[in-house]
Amino acid sequence: MRRLAYGVVAAIIAIALIALAGAALGHSPRQLLSILVNGSIGSSFAIEGTLLKSVPLLLTGLSVAIAFRAGVWNIGGEGQFIVGALAAFLASRFGVVASLAAAMLAGAAWSSIATAMRMWRNAPEVLTTILLNFIAIQLLGWCVNGPMQESVRQYPQTDTAGAALPSLGGLPIAIVACVVAWWMLYRTAEGLRLRATGFNPFAARWAGVNVSAQIARAMAISGAAAGLAGGIELLGVTHRLFERFAAGYGYSGIAVALLANLHPLATILSGLFFGALVTGAGELQRTANISAAVATLAQAIVILILIVFGAIEKRRRWPS
Amino acid sequence: MAELILEVLPLAIVASTPLLLAVQGELVVQRGGMINLGLEGMMLVAALTSILSARASESALLGFAGGIAGAALIALVFGVFAIHLHADQIVTGTAINLLAVGATSFVYRELPPSLVTQLVAIQGSTAIVPLAWLVFPIVLAIVLWRTSFGLRLRACGENPSAVVAAGHSVVAHRWLALGIESIAAGLAGGYLSLAYSGFAENMTTGRGFFALSIVIFGRWKLRGALAGTALFGIAAALQYALQASARDVPYHLLLAMPYVVTLLILCGVAGKVRPPESLGR
Repeated sequence: MRRLAYGVVAAIIAIALIALAGAALGHSPRQLLSILVNGSIGSSFAIEGTLLKSVPLLLTGLSVAIAFRAGVWNIGGEGQFIVGALAAFLASRFGVVASLAAAMLAGAAWSSIATAMRMWRNAPEVLTTILLNFIAIQLLGWCVNGPMQESVRQYPQTDTAGAALPSLGGLPIAIVACVVAWWMLYRTAEGLRLRATGFNPFAARWAGVNVSAQIARAMAISGAAAGLAGGIELLGVTHRLFERFAAGYGYSGIAVALLANLHPLATILSGLFFGALVTGAGELQRTANISAAVATLAQAIVILILIVFGAIEKRRRWPS
Repeated sequence: MAELILEVLPLAIVASTPLLLAVQGELVVQRGGMINLGLEGMMLVAALTSILSARASESALLGFAGGIAGAALIALVFGVFAIHLHADQIVTGTAINLLAVGATSFVYRELPPSLVTQLVAIQGSTAIVPLAWLVFPIVLAIVLWRTSFGLRLRACGENPSAVVAAGHSVVAHRWLALGIESIAAGLAGGYLSLAYSGFAENMTTGRGFFALSIVIFGRWKLRGALAGTALFGIAAALQYALQASARDVPYHLLLAMPYVVTLLILCGVAGKVRPPESLGR
């Protein structure tokens, strides 16, 4: 319960700081807040927008939560999201199920490149996953300008995908994924081993866990979740691929997961909150000409505030 | 091949100047026991503050000073979290990168474009090239390996309790390391915008992460850092050469090359790698 309160307070402080920053640059904070609220939950249209944006955030947040729980730094959600969408596009003519399965496989494969580099070459995954993001972005750029460009060859985008989900069809899938992840993490031996690995890999090894294999599996599951997010975004929302397809969902997943305290069920709430924030920020850009980057700014501030709360709590528990 | 490399070498040296500065800054910080993943964000903020300051003053010197101030602001945030709150440095660094992207994009759109862009490079910005390749390495070699401050700073990275036991402050040394990194990252970010056409959103394009990778590749040694940057610079210059000559190679795949090269660099660290003992703690 206290954790939930921390999250809510962090979110409120972040939004207050954004309003202050807006005021410093000459926008009325009141107007700024009202656009933010109305643009995200003020009408049924706004709510639909919020739910649409929440779906990828839920899944990338889940992806980060699983990896961080296992103690691996998967910062590569953005790249896994993109390759997931690419694979989903290629497999879309075989139907929705095959398409989403391909998305998950591709995401898992992409994150596993980082795992392989860590296992065999000792390369830190925190850097390799980030570098793989940039590579995926250029790969997508090449695909939509070259081999996968639309048949009329007018814009750098693909044709419409061969399968489609209803626009909010991803929401139940994302929520089910969160519940399944919760069940896996807290109700199965696999989840216990995964959490033990993240909590203390040395102790886990003593308890008989194959730490390397555990990390490899966690990384693959994490990549699959981010890949699924990309597949759903393609089939349900954009229907085409284009250069700026990923729109930062992978990085936002880190804020989503941390606000949820790496808990899969809390990720649902946190994903909805950031979905509302991103949608409201989009409205700010359209009506008040304030950069939608305020959403990114708010994500950073939320993470930093949560770190401060964590430090205060630690100090209270173990006074120095 | 050798001829081509000789031809692109000057280009490589100039193009990898900001990277080299960032590498050296991160080397100092990591030797002091911290991993600053927020280096990317430091450079991005410095790129914006330096051009703002340069456009206001019409002076390269004040432009770079503005860059250093911007980088120091980010270092201040990182230092409070990493040194005083003992926060996880990877999470802090990631948050800082988001903060820098969000803040610079936000401010950038509020400003008239004439304030943050320029048609020609500001005069005097190329002075950074010899500074990065000659002055900085010599000063670092002396400060880190030939002074008692350097010895204590490196001890902060290996065994901080020993520094405390010897009656010195780990906190002060780590702050000084961040100060040095601010100078390096501030100049690097400043060079990116002052020597070219000003600020653009996300203009650092991963250079901070290249720098962290090269520090590892160079095994936390100055010579390794210089060699790694030179190698990277040659690869980048070959890419430019290829971009100009081989028109049938897709543009986006060429753009992906630096990232692939960095991955290979990270994987190429064969044999025993020993980071500073207390890195990241």
